[in-house]
Amino acid sequence: MISRVLVPMDKSEMAEHALRYALEAFPDAEITVFHVVGEPSALWGEAASLALADDIGQAAEEHASDVFDDARAIADEYDREIATDVQVGHPTRAILNAAEGFDTVVIGPHGGSLADRLLMGNVAETVFRRSPVPVTVVR
Amino acid sequence: MSLTTVLVVGIVASIFVGLNIGGSSTGIAWGPAVGAGIISKTLAAGLMTFFVFLGGWTVGRNVMDTLAGDIITIPISLESGVAVLFFIGLGILIANVFGVPVPTSMTTVGSIAGLGLATGTLNFETIGWIVSWWVVTPIIGFWVGGVIGRYLYPELNRRFEITTSEGPLLALDRRGTVPTPTLGPNTTRRELLTTVLVLIIGCYMAFSAGASNVPNAVAPLVSSGALEVNTAIAIATVAIGVGGFTIARRTMESVGTELSDIPLLAALIVMLTAATITTALSAIGIPISLVMAMVMTIVGLGWGRATRPVRVRDVRDVIRGDETAEIEPGALTADPNTPVRQIGEEEPREVREASDLFNPRAVIKYVSMWIIGPTVSLGLSYAFFVAFPFVG
Repeated sequence: MISRVLVPMDKSEMAEHALRYALEAFPDAEITVFHVVGEPSALWGEAASLALADDIGQAAEEHASDVFDDARAIADEYDREIATDVQVGHPTRAILNAAEGFDTVVIGPHGGSLADRLLMGNVAETVFRRSPVPVTVVR
Repeated sequence: MSLTTVLVVGIVASIFVGLNIGGSSTGIAWGPAVGAGIISKTLAAGLMTFFVFLGGWTVGRNVMDTLAGDIITIPISLESGVAVLFFIGLGILIANVFGVPVPTSMTTVGSIAGLGLATGTLNFETIGWIVSWWVVTPIIGFWVGGVIGRYLYPELNRRFEITTSEGPLLALDRRGTVPTPTLGPNTTRRELLTTVLVLIIGCYMAFSAGASNVPNAVAPLVSSGALEVNTAIAIATVAIGVGGFTIARRTMESVGTELSDIPLLAALIVMLTAATITTALSAIGIPISLVMAMVMTIVGLGWGRATRPVRVRDVRDVIRGDETAEIEPGALTADPNTPVRQIGEEEPREVREASDLFNPRAVIKYVSMWIIGPTVSLGLSYAFFVAFPFVG
C-alpha cells in the first residue's frame, strides 16, 4: 500500500505533469511536493543569496513559494491537499536523502540546458538509479 | 584571396567576437546595478563603452602584447590570425548555444597556443606563466571572498544599509536664480552615496573588462601588423559597445535576475574584488576573464558566510578532504564527540544548512569547464594548423 508519495518539482512543465500523474495514480496517498533551492548555477547567485540571508530557512521558503503555489493550484483542481518541503543545495542529493521517508517517488524528466546537465547531471536519471524506494519517471 | 579580402574577413570575425564580448561582459558589469533599478540599460551600455575603451587603451595594451607577440615566438600571419579568430568565435558560439560558460580569454590563449604547437613556435615559458595565474586566480578570488564573508561581512552589512527610495534620486531646486540639483523627495544622503558607489564600481568593472577583453577581439590581427594597435582598439571598442547596447539587454536581465537576491553590498564586494584581480593581472599582461574571478569570489563569499560560526579546526578538517563532513552553524554548541560522517554515508533528513549550498564536487565541476574550454580550443586549433600549414 502506497501511502506517502514524494514529488520533487523544479520550475518545469514536466514537473507539473509528474504532480498530476501522482494525484491521479495515488488518490488516497499523502503527497509531498519537494523543491530544492540554491542549486548550482553559472554565477552561483541563488546559492550565495541563500548563504548570505539572515535566516536561511525563511529565505528558502520564499524562493520555493512560486513552485509550491503552482503545485497547490494543481492540487486544488483534484480537490486535494498537499504537503510541501524545501531543501537547499544539490537537487539529486537532497531528493535522495528525502526519498527514504517515502514509499515512492514520482518525478518528471529533468529539463534544463546542457550546462545544467554538466553541472548537476541528469537529476531524474540519478534519482531513478540510486533511490532507496521505487521511482516513477513521468514523461 | 587577396590580403585585403582576408583582412576584411578578419575584421568581420573580430566584430563578431567583440559583439559577443560586449553582450556578456556588460551583463556582468552592470547586471546588479540594473537589476537593483539604479541605472537604465542604455546608460549602463553607454558607460560600458566609454570605460571599455579606457581599459583597452591603457592597461589592455599589456594583454595585447602577450596575445599578439609573446605566446608564440613568430608573428601570427594575417591568414592564421583570421583562423584563430574563427576558433575564438566558435568557442563563443558553443557557449551561447549550449549555455555553457566558456571564458573568452582562455579560448583565445588556447587557439593561439594551438597554432604555436602546430608550428613548433609555442613559447612554453609564457604559456606556463599564464596557466599558473589561471590556477591561482580562482583561489585568490575564493580566499578574498571567504575571508570577507566569514569575518567582515556581518559588520559591513550592519554599517552599510543600502536602500533605494521611491521617486527620483535628484531633483532640481528652482527657487534660486540658477536651478541647483538637490536630493530627490525621498532620497537620503546615504542613498545618494551608495548610488554613486555602485556607479563607480560598475565603471571599474567595465574598465577591467576592457583591459582584459579588448585584446581578445583584435590581437590575432595586430600581430602581423595588418591592423595598427590604436585602430584595433577602436574597432574592438565599437563592437563591444554595440554588443552592450543590443545583446546585453538580455544578459543584463539574466545576470541581474540571478544576482538580484544577493544583497547589493555583497554584489559590490564581489565586483570590487573581481575588477581588481582582473585589472592587476591585465597590467602584468596575463589574459584573464572577468567572470573567472567573479564566480569564485561569489562562491567564497557565500561559503565564508555559511561557515562563519564554525571553529577553524572544523573547517580545516573539511578542506583536508572529507567533503561530506558537515559544517553546521550550530557547531559551537554541538557535542564535540559527534563522529564525523564518512564519505558516502547518508546525511540526516532535516538538513537545511548553508554549507550544503557549496558542495565542493559541484564547484569543481564548474571549474573543470574552465579547463575543458581552452583545452578544446587548443586541440581544434592544433589539428587545423597541422592539416592546413599555411603559416607564414
